Amino acid sequence: MKRRKREGPVIARENDMFEITLSSDDRSTLLHFVDQLSEILAMGPDDVRLRRLFPTAYNENPEHDAEYQGYMRDELTQSRSASIAVVKEVLESTELITASQLHAFMTVLNNLRLVLGTLLDVGEDDFEDDIDENDPTFGQWQLYGYLGWLLEWTISALSGEDN
Amino acid sequence: MIFIAPTGSQQTEVAEPSVDIATDEVVDLQVPWVVIVWNDPINLMSYVSFVLQKLFGYPKAKADILMMDVHEKGRAVVSNGPREKAEIDVFRLHEHGLWATMQQDT
Repeated sequence: MKRRKREGPVIARENDMFEITLSSDDRSTLLHFVDQLSEILAMGPDDVRLRRLFPTAYNENPEHDAEYQGYMRDELTQSRSASIAVVKEVLESTELITASQLHAFMTVLNNLRLVLGTLLDVGEDDFEDDIDENDPTFGQWQLYGYLGWLLEWTISALSGEDN
Repeated sequence: MIFIAPTGSQQTEVAEPSVDIATDEVVDLQVPWVVIVWNDPINLMSYVSFVLQKLFGYPKAKADILMMDVHEKGRAVVSNGPREKAEIDVFRLHEHGLWATMQQDT
């Protein structure tokens, strides 16, 4: 993994606490998309955008999978909603946060990337830098890249790297 | 308007991972289950490694090897055990957005 020379947007502080140094504009933008994720989750796990958030567990046995989905899907939805609630609090405050809060932040960032990446039909060789600014999906690709950048810094901070 | 809402041309069907192991209708309680993580072009490599470290307590070196197997070979067995344990592992991986399935080890 590359070593970064500059201090990132997620910084480990003393006593296992972390600081997110995003601007208020960035926080508002992220809150906007987190709210959208909540709206999509409320539509139910069969929504095409949530394909990667509710994967098959038994891909060789549909009966087992139906049984599994029957008792796990609600729990998975509740878990995601709980993480979203934590992240909304984190983004609305500039106070230091715990590792547990930062972990929730990480999972929600990843959920957003999975939804957006599914819509963009991202493949192994697709990169946001290759998208022409006249492309109608340019804005979504920029957001996808931004989320990846922020996610990398979050993982680094939680891993105890770069600090 | 929802920015991450689909438009017609952007909807995509994600292919199911395929396995070449024949389905056995009879579940043998003695045969352990394996949990498999499948490659996905969206999840970051650093993220997959970090999640494997956090969920299973694997050292970074082991998690990185499993992550590279997922990336290069398309899949990796990340845990195994009784069916109940495998279901919990799959749930926790799904919670973290990883594409995990389980099947009996044959």
